[in-house]
Amino acid sequence: MRTRLIRALLLLGGGLSVVLGVSLGAAAPPRVQFTDTHLKNGLRVIIAEDHSAPVFSIAITYNVGSRNERLGRTGFAHLFEHMMFKGSPNVGSGEHFLLIYTNGGDMNGSTSKDRTNYYERLPMNQLDLALFLESDRMRALDINKANLDNQIGTVSEERKQGVDNQPYGKTSETIDNLAYTNFAYRHSVIGSLDDLRAANVDDVAAFFKMYYAPNNAVLAIAGDVKNEELLAKVRQYFESIPRQPAPPEVEMTEPPQTEERRQTIDDPLARLARLDIVYHVPQSLTPDADALSVAGTILSSGRSSRLYENIVRQKQLSSSVFASAGESRGPGLFRIGGLVMPNKSVADLEQAVYEEVERLKTGPIEAWEIEKARNAARRGFLSSLTSSLSRAVMLSQLAVFYNDPGLINTRYERLSSITAADVQRVAQQYLTPQNRTVVVTNPKPAAPAPQPGSQTGGL
Amino acid sequence: MNAKRMLTVAGLLVLLCAMPLAQVAMQSPAGQAPPTKGVVLKGKAPVSNDVLKVKLPRPQEADLPNGIHLMILEDHRLPQIAMQMLIPGAGGYYDPADASGLAGFTASMMLEGTATRTSQQIAQEQETMASSVGVSAGGAGESATLVVSSLADNFDKTLDLAADILLNPSFPEAELARYKTRQMPQFLAMERYSRVIYGDHPNSRVMPTAESIDKTTHDALAAFHRAHYVPDQAIVAIVGDITLADARKIIEIRFGAWKKADVTVPPVQDPAPIGPGKVYLVDRANSVQTSLIVGTPAINRTSPDYDVVSLLNAIIGGGPTGRLFLNLREEKGWTYGAYSSVSAPRFRGDWSAQTEIKGDVTEQAVGEILNEVNRTRTEPIPDKEFLDKKRSLVANFALSLETPAAILNNYITSRRYNLPASYWDMYPERMMSVTKEQVQAAAVKYLDPARLRIVAVGDARKIGDGLKKFGMVEVYDTDGKLKTF
Repeated sequence: MRTRLIRALLLLGGGLSVVLGVSLGAAAPPRVQFTDTHLKNGLRVIIAEDHSAPVFSIAITYNVGSRNERLGRTGFAHLFEHMMFKGSPNVGSGEHFLLIYTNGGDMNGSTSKDRTNYYERLPMNQLDLALFLESDRMRALDINKANLDNQIGTVSEERKQGVDNQPYGKTSETIDNLAYTNFAYRHSVIGSLDDLRAANVDDVAAFFKMYYAPNNAVLAIAGDVKNEELLAKVRQYFESIPRQPAPPEVEMTEPPQTEERRQTIDDPLARLARLDIVYHVPQSLTPDADALSVAGTILSSGRSSRLYENIVRQKQLSSSVFASAGESRGPGLFRIGGLVMPNKSVADLEQAVYEEVERLKTGPIEAWEIEKARNAARRGFLSSLTSSLSRAVMLSQLAVFYNDPGLINTRYERLSSITAADVQRVAQQYLTPQNRTVVVTNPKPAAPAPQPGSQTGGL
Repeated sequence: MNAKRMLTVAGLLVLLCAMPLAQVAMQSPAGQAPPTKGVVLKGKAPVSNDVLKVKLPRPQEADLPNGIHLMILEDHRLPQIAMQMLIPGAGGYYDPADASGLAGFTASMMLEGTATRTSQQIAQEQETMASSVGVSAGGAGESATLVVSSLADNFDKTLDLAADILLNPSFPEAELARYKTRQMPQFLAMERYSRVIYGDHPNSRVMPTAESIDKTTHDALAAFHRAHYVPDQAIVAIVGDITLADARKIIEIRFGAWKKADVTVPPVQDPAPIGPGKVYLVDRANSVQTSLIVGTPAINRTSPDYDVVSLLNAIIGGGPTGRLFLNLREEKGWTYGAYSSVSAPRFRGDWSAQTEIKGDVTEQAVGEILNEVNRTRTEPIPDKEFLDKKRSLVANFALSLETPAAILNNYITSRRYNLPASYWDMYPERMMSVTKEQVQAAAVKYLDPARLRIVAVGDARKIGDGLKKFGMVEVYDTDGKLKTF
């Protein structure tokens, strides 16, 4: 296959899809081309045209996540994501998803600490439907008591399904609460049931006005669309939505940690003990975060990784151990964790993890381990281009997070330049005892019935 | 789904078609009662009345002398390739009676060493290339499946490794011992349900037992591999940046010498019919939610009712527009989601509804699920809901053009079940021609309340009494042992 030609993909522009002959071997990596426009009301619009399948995807990222929430108001950003499907003067409650699915599409929304997004993927002939639905709810959401109460009930059940009724469900809340000092990242996205139940219509309306303004959002559309035509339609649907004052900046500074933090919790639903260790690390897309990402691959990616080979396979202290830093616009956490095998001790597992962390700092890093991280980055990049939905979601998110949608093409290359010395340097700098937080989750036999009220949803 | 994007597939036609699909997009007049609970339709959003008609690309096919059937869907848009090889007869359905889980165990152990590679070498070699190679044969499937994917420029080398794993596994004793200690069989909610519906049939097994894992030997694994991993009926399906000629060449190099065994795979049997319905409760103290499964034996993949039952299922619980979701989540706010599904393999499968529900409304939720099932048996489906649902299934086909692996999977299904060559091309027409009467008749035939089983995992002290309303309740602990209640 060394000699075969590939047709360059995703090279689009002016409505023409360009076909290039490129010989492989050192083939130029694919590139997503896009236009980037700011409307008068501040809405940023990114369009990546591509006619390879009769499908398009639309994604809107709003610059609001649980990081924007205040004490006593946790879970608001996520509750609001649910409200966005409850209708407007033009669209009935639940009509949004009925229309998308009935016309052959799929859709969803999601909330993280850093942002809230909404997306639809549809056959190319339903472009107006998607633009209408997204602009309509940005313009005038119907916020009323009945919708709010109904969704507080649904979110309460979502919290139980994902947190309260899951083994280790409370572990990650405990970790963030202990590791972070700054409230922005300290509380969970789903929030507390008490805060959710206290939400009233006025609070929610004020939240909508401030954060769901066009100047606080980026719209990206990828797939089988015509750039000029689409941009005209976008202006028609969105440009008259009024701009709002910019939301306040979030203070994200996290004071340096100076000594180890540690907590042990009991979990009546867990059957095995679990160990979690987290270290404070810089935000994503900084050189140090890139090197830490390679460190995560070396430590825990696949059966050839150090934690698997030494802790799972040789010492048999755990059935699987992970190590990674997720994407984070603000101060991040490098997380290591695993379940403890029956009849093995948490202390032994913890000691074994520290041995591997020390080996990363001082021992040799093999050439194949660096090559593995580079190839993983290449594959990750290609996977991220596979669907129009993934391209649209990434373009809008990268614009919101880093003001640079072009990172869709370059962010994985950054990982290719990381060396063994870089990995050792960041391991020495960040993976230190005083910078770590340790949480141990112990299984606990079934306790007496919980207090009434601690487990009911707001119906 | 991580499938590859499609490309210059020759003959890809995109047409806007008019009748008969177009008429289904008519919107209900303002003021008409909504056909579905929990949703308000205002009908103001602009909808294209056309269903985008797409012609699916067909794979190129070839047969090798040793029986391997090759299917290729070229996709040159990104330099990556994925392959799966199905080996009928090597799946968990064919576990020996006294060694449940042996097929799955054999598949997992194949990655733990070959005649020339250690477990570590296998892992390191594939992961350095960012390739993936896996073998699986769990559950009661008929086939073992080898799954391979890689960057295009590493596919050759990745296939060398995959062929070694498939043809020369050594099942080293030391790795076997390590593997056994890593297994932690756990009782699953699904396990109780599967036993209830499938009885002694192989599909009743969700996980192998600790005993059967313990007694497995090197010789048993090697013998299962020798007898069941044969090329006679194997299917190799490749999607990605490669041509049929190149694919054929590299498959012949690796698998050409793999000898035909001239054995026939014994046919699968349907599970035995089940008696009248019952309620099964797995007591999980302190549960704040109840996991509910309500189900019944249903159809085989080759049943002439397959399309009708798929549509029936979509109406009851297919995604966020299904009646269960609209009722239990959108109207009641009792759950984060409620869905149903049809499992239709070669033997008779089942239909089931699943949800995680607020613990203190368990009884009401079971009542609502049974009521939704009953409605499809006794009430005609409103016209708009029925047409919307068919339209949604048919229009969704366009999206699969972004994921050629999904298209190729359709053609693998065609080959496995001897479906007509035009099966997928005719799917939209076939689905649109299903009538309400057919769907209601299928509900009457397959969703018999007397054969519905209810499985709940939750706090028995709180939900046990409420469940008695639906029949005799058997209570189990979380290890699957019968309890007195």
